Amino acid sequence: MPPVAQHQVTGRRRRSPLPYTWQRGYLLATPALLVMVAILIYPLGYSFIMSFFRWDLSGSAPFAGVGNYTDELFGRQFNQALRNQTIFSVISITVEVVAGMAIALLVNGKLRGMRLARTLLLVPPMIAPAVVGLNFRWLFNTQYGLVDALLRMFNLPNIPWLNHPTWALVSVIVADVWQNTPLMVLLFLAGLQSLPQEPLEAATVDGATPWQRFWHIVLPLMRPVIMIALMLRIIDTFRTFDVVWLMTQGGPGGATNLLTVYAYLLAFQAVDFGHAAAVSYIALGMSLFVLGLLYGIPWLIAKRRAI
Amino acid sequence: MSGTLSRRKFLVASAAVTAGSLAAPWIARAEANEITALLITGGPLYPKYWEKIVQDFTAKTGIKVRYDLLEFTPLTSKVVTLSAAKSSQYDVYSTHTAQIDSYFNHFAPLNSYFSDTELADFYPVAVKYLRDPKSGNLAAIPRNMDSRVQYYRSDIYQEKGLKPAETWEDLVDVGLRLTGNGHYGLVVPGQGDPAQRTFSDLLWQAGGDWVDQANKPAFNSEAGIKALTFYRDLIQKHKIVPPDAVGYQWNENSTEFSSGTVYANFDWPGAFATLSNPETSRVVGKWSTAPYIRDKAAISCAISHAMALNGQSGRTEPAVEFIKYTVGPEAQRLQFDQFTNFPSSQAIAKEVIAAAKGPQATWLQQLETTIANGKEWPKLAGFSKVCTLMFSAIEQALTDQVSPSDSLNQAATEAEEIMRRAGAYD
Repeated sequence: MPPVAQHQVTGRRRRSPLPYTWQRGYLLATPALLVMVAILIYPLGYSFIMSFFRWDLSGSAPFAGVGNYTDELFGRQFNQALRNQTIFSVISITVEVVAGMAIALLVNGKLRGMRLARTLLLVPPMIAPAVVGLNFRWLFNTQYGLVDALLRMFNLPNIPWLNHPTWALVSVIVADVWQNTPLMVLLFLAGLQSLPQEPLEAATVDGATPWQRFWHIVLPLMRPVIMIALMLRIIDTFRTFDVVWLMTQGGPGGATNLLTVYAYLLAFQAVDFGHAAAVSYIALGMSLFVLGLLYGIPWLIAKRRAI
Repeated sequence: MSGTLSRRKFLVASAAVTAGSLAAPWIARAEANEITALLITGGPLYPKYWEKIVQDFTAKTGIKVRYDLLEFTPLTSKVVTLSAAKSSQYDVYSTHTAQIDSYFNHFAPLNSYFSDTELADFYPVAVKYLRDPKSGNLAAIPRNMDSRVQYYRSDIYQEKGLKPAETWEDLVDVGLRLTGNGHYGLVVPGQGDPAQRTFSDLLWQAGGDWVDQANKPAFNSEAGIKALTFYRDLIQKHKIVPPDAVGYQWNENSTEFSSGTVYANFDWPGAFATLSNPETSRVVGKWSTAPYIRDKAAISCAISHAMALNGQSGRTEPAVEFIKYTVGPEAQRLQFDQFTNFPSSQAIAKEVIAAAKGPQATWLQQLETTIANGKEWPKLAGFSKVCTLMFSAIEQALTDQVSPSDSLNQAATEAEEIMRRAGAYD
């Protein structure tokens, strides 16, 4: 170290009222930690407490124990939202992962126009979900929408995209898949490009078919990336709100009511914060449970194999 | 001067920024002669209207008003959030009969600020449903009336030799004769609060009501089932309504009529101005109005946009003065001139009806009749949550997921439990 710099450091140490200890580290981190507590931990804790009270704007907020949770778990509307959430999450994640992997394999090749394709893939994730919701609402409009206009052009029957319970759920899944599949592609593409080439070359020399190379080599090597992708999408699908709200507001007749939409309706239309908080925590618990399964099952299998 | 930032300077600057942020709300606090208001907007004319009202009010009283404008749905969400947080950010709120029961404990009672004579001038139906039925407190004061009449395409009706529907049967007959070639005889909303409003009107018309004498749910009566079956059949059986209407609320409804796709609609007072304006309507000069339909009775909703005083406000007197100004004669005349909003003051309503001519006079008389016969759903504890339940129940019946009777019976059972828990029967 040059002598001048050494002198500066020594000088600063002498002026500082605090020694360089771990306490000082915490002290300096305190403002950031306080901000975290104020904007993250406090609201989470507050809403968790809220979920045990009959909390509306009536003035009194009596303690309800787990009453809000049991009301919802045995309630018709919650169960409809839970069913919708399960269908929505399972189908959209499956389609996004499978299609994402397929497209990633395709654009990973050295075909013409792949650079442009990779650039275009960035567009859907960059669009705000609210805009995606509005666009799909218009695309799927039975009278004025482009999709039904195309169907009519080919003398095919109109599909009641947003006004039939089943088709409405299909429509919001399509919008979600359209927006999020490219993100999967980008993740998988990054994974594919970082795979070691030796095992693949060895398999080719041994006469493995492309399918065998994919199934026995690429897929196992890609497992960590797939796990990350699944984790991101599970968290995301349990938070989906904007697209559904803009397209259907949870209708028709609650057919696209996801847990987030239902919690919003409880809080801002029914003005029932206690039940809304309970629904939010059930949704959080479910996504943590699914994530636990996702990581826990392979871990258990690996442990059993090791034994 | 050195270009590098020392740690000491950085920490001092950070402390200054933090102190500034913490002090900002106090610095930004209103002056003593200034109040704050969260006001409703919608359409390009509203901001100018409020600007004029506030300017005139300040010129007369010297009280400044700092205000924010929001459309109905975000305004409702924001008032809910601010009330839950017991916020004193705004002294005055725009509000509405529809959700007033949620705020009975958060809006300051206005009873003592209005004399009996002053209150008697407002339409009784408006004042009745802005009161807390338990305490009798007046939670808000009506600013303009919200009721609907029938808007129909007079040119098409004349061409086909039709008269506007008077009864439920007429509505189907006329609708069937008008539907075809991409056009529909009627449009009704099918989602959320607008669907509940439509069901509510049909329920009263069929002779039913939301609750019985003991405040127990009664909307699943024979009349309720008849009303919901009729409502569903307009869409699913007779198909005189666009199929996407099950996802429509008021805006989509109005647009279907003003674009010329649909030939009849039940719309609010503001539609009169919108449909007369070539910038917002393709059917200018091609429509007329008629009374709302009837069955056993000729009843539909009579509600109102209103003004409320935040219970947390520390500037009560100037805030009340502003509220009084917004419901006063000048403001009511101005909002009628600007948006054809129907006055909540009976005296001003009589004045504008007397001054109106031709179709506008007819329309105003039709509206006044609707208001005179009008009703609103009960303001009982827990009814806001019942409304959310009803949205789903009505939508499920309209989309043929459940039969009207099953849907209403199930909703009635759940509604009673919700109201019991909320203390409606205590």
